[in-house]
Amino acid sequence: MIDFGRVQKELQECSKDSQASGIKVSPKADNLARLVGTIPGPIGTPYEGGTFQIDITLPDAYPFQPPKMQFATKVWHPNISSQSGAICLDILKDQWSPALTLKTALLSIQALLSAPEPDDPQDAVVAQQYLKDYQTFVGTARYWTETFAKTSALGVEEKVQRLVEMGFLESLVRSTLDAVGGDENLALEKLCSA
Amino acid sequence: MDDYFSSEEEEEYCSDRDALDGLENDDPDYDWVPPKGPSTKVITKESLLCAQRGDLRRVMELLSLREHHARTLLIHHRWDVEKLLAVLVERGKACLFANAGVPLTEDQDLSLPRHSTSTVMCDICMEDIPGQITTRMDCSHCYCNDCWTEHFVVKINEGQSKRIKCMAHKCNAICDEAIVRDLVRRRHPDLANKFDRFLLESYIEDNKMVKWCPSTPHCGNAIRIEEDECCEVECSCGLQFCFSCLSEPHSPCSCLMWELWSKKCRDESETVNWITVHTKPCPKCHKPVEKNGGCNLVSCICGQAFCWLCGGATGRDHTWSNIAGHSCGRYKEDQEQKSERAKRDLYRYMHYHNRYKAHLDSFKLENKLRETIQEKVSVSEEKESALRDFTWVTNGLYRLFRSRRVLLYSYPFAFYMFGEELFTDEMTDEQREIKQHLFEDQQQQLEANVERLSKFLEEPFDEYDEKKVMDVRMHVINLSVVTDTLCRKMYECIETDLLGCLALGTHNIAPYKSKGIERAAALNAKADESDKYLPLDFGKAGASELDRPSGSGSLDDSGRPTKRARTEGLVGALIDLNVPAGGY
Repeated sequence: MIDFGRVQKELQECSKDSQASGIKVSPKADNLARLVGTIPGPIGTPYEGGTFQIDITLPDAYPFQPPKMQFATKVWHPNISSQSGAICLDILKDQWSPALTLKTALLSIQALLSAPEPDDPQDAVVAQQYLKDYQTFVGTARYWTETFAKTSALGVEEKVQRLVEMGFLESLVRSTLDAVGGDENLALEKLCSA
Repeated sequence: MDDYFSSEEEEEYCSDRDALDGLENDDPDYDWVPPKGPSTKVITKESLLCAQRGDLRRVMELLSLREHHARTLLIHHRWDVEKLLAVLVERGKACLFANAGVPLTEDQDLSLPRHSTSTVMCDICMEDIPGQITTRMDCSHCYCNDCWTEHFVVKINEGQSKRIKCMAHKCNAICDEAIVRDLVRRRHPDLANKFDRFLLESYIEDNKMVKWCPSTPHCGNAIRIEEDECCEVECSCGLQFCFSCLSEPHSPCSCLMWELWSKKCRDESETVNWITVHTKPCPKCHKPVEKNGGCNLVSCICGQAFCWLCGGATGRDHTWSNIAGHSCGRYKEDQEQKSERAKRDLYRYMHYHNRYKAHLDSFKLENKLRETIQEKVSVSEEKESALRDFTWVTNGLYRLFRSRRVLLYSYPFAFYMFGEELFTDEMTDEQREIKQHLFEDQQQQLEANVERLSKFLEEPFDEYDEKKVMDVRMHVINLSVVTDTLCRKMYECIETDLLGCLALGTHNIAPYKSKGIERAAALNAKADESDKYLPLDFGKAGASELDRPSGSGSLDDSGRPTKRARTEGLVGALIDLNVPAGGY
């Protein structure tokens, strides 16, 4: 059986510093075995500005077996399938350790976005492009980020503007909006309580 | 004249005896333990623990380690003690231990109190846990017992018993097997037994010098060899097999050749005869085509039409008597060559297969000779005669089986050695031809002598008078020596002249053993039953000397158990060594 006690604690821990890390985990339904993780695209990469959703399924023996994770948001990356969102990452397979958590796993995925490993590809087409024509790769990845990872992209600038006009720092507004997934009201709540 | 003759015979008799000494059965201790040859051992369910313990002890003593750490090191190095020691010398203890997942400072945990009264936060379940129900591993990581147990259960069920790592991220340390066993047994006794079995059988599964006997139904034994992986062995269950590929013994064929050959025989033997009589190869795809009626224009399944008379490709327009644009009188070189080639390949295979089959049949028939010869010997022994010793008959028969076997497998060898499948680029046609002549010369000599030996052994010597028996005897002894020499020479020729210059690693051939396939000796399983737990004082490990599996480095204790077992195994077993391994 899944150790739900631990999952609860993980969720609490994660929400505590989700503002700083930008990483969020929330249950999909009420049974805690299906979750959704959210990571912001790392700054200085073609994924910057995007918000990526990751489907998480916990196996029965969690945390003694790795959680199953795959991208729900389409992403152009050598180690992530452009079709299915499957992730090629060692800690999600044989290098998993029960001492790792959902948050550390999501952080590793975020790190993978910053540092692709084209020599160990999940998506051969993307990896080929990455190695042979890096500029085109960056262009495609950026385009995919714009198209799929910023559903509310158009509205974001307006929201930022409105919130800045209320007297909040622009950088803080942006990070808060990112953290809550672009929901203006939630962001306002957070900004006020911070 | 008479005198002269008899004295000459006497002399020859003597020299024969000398030459044949190796074949005689009266001094097995001397004969059956080759001074340096690999000595194979049978490991049974009962002696497995003992076999494993020998290697464990060696490593424990050399590195002053505890048993589970020694086992971890050995599993990591696939039970190759020599390799393990080489790593130790070359790269140092720290590297050896780190790679295998053995913590360097293994005594650390002993100094730390295992049971403290304070509570500890378990990083896995994230609960505060009383110290008594947590466990600290050698790597100093500490978690609660429930989490450890759950981790072990998952790993054992995943088949990872041999390398259960610590739960901490990036901690490479292998968990103490005693702790694993203890914690798992509390909740899942069955799984703990499974864990123990996995650890025990790792000695066979992860060890390139040990393999399960391939017998079906399985005899439960494994065979351990000492040096050369390329050899043929006999298990105590009676099955003879090639240690490298686990199929029947097949030298002088290499494993690859034998695999190809037996596949080819399976695919083709039944149909080959029918095919050659009833079909012609299609000039395009070379598939055999059967003419199932009608005129001489035949069309293959690939769509190619061809003339049944000449086998050449044609168009499709035809009448009963002739095919448009085709006349068999005209010689079409290219097509002719193609169809010739397919035909030649088939004939070539049949040539070798027929001879292989003939020797296989003889081999089976001669096996029946054993009984009839035994009768003849009994009859002869009853007679009032100066000749009382009839070991030359059994020895001759034995030699016949042995040589027949070599001859049998020399045909598939030749098929591949001089064929185009394996060595096309390795030698020129000219070289191939020279080699083939060289080999076939030897093969023919051997064949002739084997047949003569067979003929003499079939003679009704029990009905002959003494002089004639002496004559048969002389021939049998002579021919035995000759065939043995020829077999040896054939192996030498293969090794040096045929394969030696080809720089090929894939064709290892089990060496020729004049005395037949070595029967693996029972491992000295006189396990010290009282010694369930290893003595902590390694200084007193004197008893281990005896049941230690003869490590390749220790010469003094390697011979003893072998000899003893050989002597026991030999009673009435001389001829059994040559019974076909079954599965023909």
